[in-house]
Amino acid sequence: MSPSAAVALATLLIVSGALFARRALLLYRLVRMGKPAARFGDVPARAKAEAVVVVGQSKLLQRLLPGAMHAAIFWGFLVLFPTIAIAMIGTVDPHGTLPWLGAQGWYTLLVDVFALLVLLGVVAAFVIRKVQRPKRFVGSHIGEADLILAMIAGIVCTLLLWHASQIALGLNDYPASWAPISGALAKVLHGPLVPYLERAAVWAHVLIILSFLVYLPYSKHLHIVVAAFNVYFGRTRARGRLEPIEFDKAEEEVRFGSARVTDMTWKQTLDTMSCTECGRCQDVCPAYATGKALSPKLLIMAIRDQMMAEGPKVLASSGSYAPPPIVPNAVTDDVVWDCVTCGACVRECPVGIEHIDHVIDLRRNLVMVESRFPEEAGTMLRDVDRSSNPWGRPQADRTHWAEGLGVRVLQPGDPAPDVLFWVGCAPAFDDRARLGAVSTAKLMLAAGVDFAILGPREACTGDPARRMGDEYTYQRLAGQNVGTLNGAGVKKIVTTCPHCFNTIGNEYPDFGGGYEVVHHTEFLAELVRDGRLAPLPSERTITYHDSCYLARHNDVRSQPRELVAAVGKPIEMARNRERTFCCGAGGARMWMEEKRGRPINHERVREAAETGAETLAVACPFCTVMLDDGVRETGAKLQVIDLATLLAEAVEKRKAKETS
Amino acid sequence: MVLVLVEQSDGKAIDPSLQTLTLARSFGQPVHALLVGSATDLTQHGVAVAHIAEHVALGAYAPDAWAAILNQLAVQLNASAVLAAGTDRGNEVMARFAARTGLALAANCISVAPGPPVTVTRLRWGGSLLEEARFNSERALITVAPHAVPIELSSMPADIEPFAPDLTGQDLLVRVVEHVAASGGGVSLTEARVVVSGGRGVGSREGFTMIEELAGLLGAAVGCSRAVTSAGWRPHTDQVGQTGTKVAPEVYIACGISGATQHMAGCKGAKRILAINSDAQAPIMSSADYAVVGDLKEIVPAISAEIRAGRAQGALNELR
Repeated sequence: MSPSAAVALATLLIVSGALFARRALLLYRLVRMGKPAARFGDVPARAKAEAVVVVGQSKLLQRLLPGAMHAAIFWGFLVLFPTIAIAMIGTVDPHGTLPWLGAQGWYTLLVDVFALLVLLGVVAAFVIRKVQRPKRFVGSHIGEADLILAMIAGIVCTLLLWHASQIALGLNDYPASWAPISGALAKVLHGPLVPYLERAAVWAHVLIILSFLVYLPYSKHLHIVVAAFNVYFGRTRARGRLEPIEFDKAEEEVRFGSARVTDMTWKQTLDTMSCTECGRCQDVCPAYATGKALSPKLLIMAIRDQMMAEGPKVLASSGSYAPPPIVPNAVTDDVVWDCVTCGACVRECPVGIEHIDHVIDLRRNLVMVESRFPEEAGTMLRDVDRSSNPWGRPQADRTHWAEGLGVRVLQPGDPAPDVLFWVGCAPAFDDRARLGAVSTAKLMLAAGVDFAILGPREACTGDPARRMGDEYTYQRLAGQNVGTLNGAGVKKIVTTCPHCFNTIGNEYPDFGGGYEVVHHTEFLAELVRDGRLAPLPSERTITYHDSCYLARHNDVRSQPRELVAAVGKPIEMARNRERTFCCGAGGARMWMEEKRGRPINHERVREAAETGAETLAVACPFCTVMLDDGVRETGAKLQVIDLATLLAEAVEKRKAKETS
Repeated sequence: MVLVLVEQSDGKAIDPSLQTLTLARSFGQPVHALLVGSATDLTQHGVAVAHIAEHVALGAYAPDAWAAILNQLAVQLNASAVLAAGTDRGNEVMARFAARTGLALAANCISVAPGPPVTVTRLRWGGSLLEEARFNSERALITVAPHAVPIELSSMPADIEPFAPDLTGQDLLVRVVEHVAASGGGVSLTEARVVVSGGRGVGSREGFTMIEELAGLLGAAVGCSRAVTSAGWRPHTDQVGQTGTKVAPEVYIACGISGATQHMAGCKGAKRILAINSDAQAPIMSSADYAVVGDLKEIVPAISAEIRAGRAQGALNELR
């Protein structure tokens, strides 16, 4: 036991602890400055997310090499954590260690193995960063990451070296036979310098750890601390649901999205602090992939940088200082409007950042407070509000698509049907989108389903207005539709539009509408399974395009595939299921001009054409229009057809065969 | 009293200014009008006094000068409110007026109540919200949303009084020095009586030569579909559709346009639609009043040739 060493260690601990605490307190105060967010409760779901995403590293392991690399380092740190205490004891007393654990053979083995794994992880990380150089790092702070990796390597190397010299000097309380790596290293350590090496290694180990502690909260490696919280406080309710604005609150308490960093919720601040700049979001973003202004990673980094620059000034002024608006100071208007809200970034993010919520909050402020948005979308907002559909067509024309089909139009006072067919604006008014609805209606009639449509009483769900940020118009329409549906006694709804499906199923409950909402692909797959529809499969090769609001936001992936298999020969595109690639119409992009970069629909059509399939099957009226445009514009040899139409044809074929 | 800035075009008061005069009368106070540079007849619009601002420098539009005149006259008359139409000029002059005096300005109003305090209802969020606002300033500055208030006539012999403003060089820093016609010199899409539009069927950027030729012969504007701007054949300013320009011509000639909903949303205001398309099943065929099924590359030049031949014949006949 060395008193001077104890004094040195205590001083180091106090200084580094104080530096860490000072920064941590600032970060904590910045988070606490945020506006309220309902992210408590649902403890079992949160605990599960923590176990799967943080401890299990599920999102990271979606990519094999980087995932394994990170998991090795992360799990290594969990295992090696007690060695910090052991080493600190070691600096003061070369013969001391943690009671019990410090003498365990199995723990010695674990430490040795995981130290090696961490080292391999660091090597892999350097290979990824220096040799592979994936594009997802474009815009990230590369130098910072190099320093951190070097520190991690330093921590593990000094640990192994310390253990090796301990064994060489016989200072080990643990059995050397359980330490294959440091034991082997010990065999080459001879001579009078070994005692000095042992002291140097342990002190170097502790010094690097303490510098790491101080540097951590100033760097993007803050995620080591923050990410676990950010994942814990992630969404537990439906992924496709946006948080409603509560307009009936006192005026000064209503948050019209975010103009400044001070308008963000505490969860959004935590989001920005969690970002490690890994770029997985950027890698899967359709806007970024087609050369647009948006990168979800750079968006979050820009908001974080503004928070770090302006937040302390706000705290110092006790809230009287108003930082500059986020748009256009941290990010440009284009960045905000490029987003298709496809959710690929949110799904990919290993630390639980919810990019869409940031984008929508910025849009809400631009639209509702600044009245600033791509002007061509103004027509849609006006027509949705005034005419209850985005094209400004007369509501009386809503039933034109169904003429001659024998579809019942539910009149006020009629008994509720088993199933309400929510048609949606696009199938009602767009010639190409209409086919899917016509086929769905024919199939339901053929299967003897008791269903009806609302006809002129159906109004736009408000989804395009909401995704634009016009929450006011959305809530008016949501209220109106919930009134109609509740008044008609509707229990179960079938819709062909994934956007209607998402908002009625996930968002209308916030406005008093609770229904069982089923997408037509789910409903039709069930009818096929039950034998109520009998299609005749053909040799036609079909590749199915997953819609973001079905496959990713709502986990509807297997039923559409059942339908594909029931009518033809399925071929998958490279990006499929929950990792699908948007058609370009989501997030109200349908109503904006794609002026930047390359068209997203062309990109997706090219991918579909590469499969060699004859048919590009879709399950969304907007995907239908976007991809059909893409096929025409690129000249791809593909037919874009809704799954319902493919099924209807196959059912007809079976009938024709049986009668002949 | 209330003071109204009245804008003129070709020696006549423009409609939005007359709408503003109608709204101004709801104050129940004498309405004074300010006309800059020249007088016009306002006897049917309930104007008690028309002030004609005259100054050597007022030959051309100068927003700061107009704002200075409005302010001087408002102070001299002790006006309780100053109104202008919510036109580009009206908004510009009133914004400068408000900035130089620190008075509150409410834009885009559709109704007013005299007060005090003066209360207005104005359009927000592109017309989807109505906002009630109260003025706290001694003089209310108001612009009136164009075409939101119908013009009501009210006969009253207006006194005409000249007004000599006191303008400085500073007030004349910003002024119109020259008018230059928009490049291209073509007819604007929104105002054209005939629009000739091309779609993907035109085939190429060069293909639009024949569309332009026909448009030239008809005195028409050239439009196009979204597919054409996506392909980069025409600028976005030419695009007709949901996310482009909305047109309302007498005749809309759609060449090689399939008629997607996105496009039809932009031309549904046309009185007559003539479609030329090789696909008889194209959706546009069901919306068109007249349809020609065939190759536009033959049909469009043939129409142009026919018009030329007819004109040549007409000219010959005249010579004879």
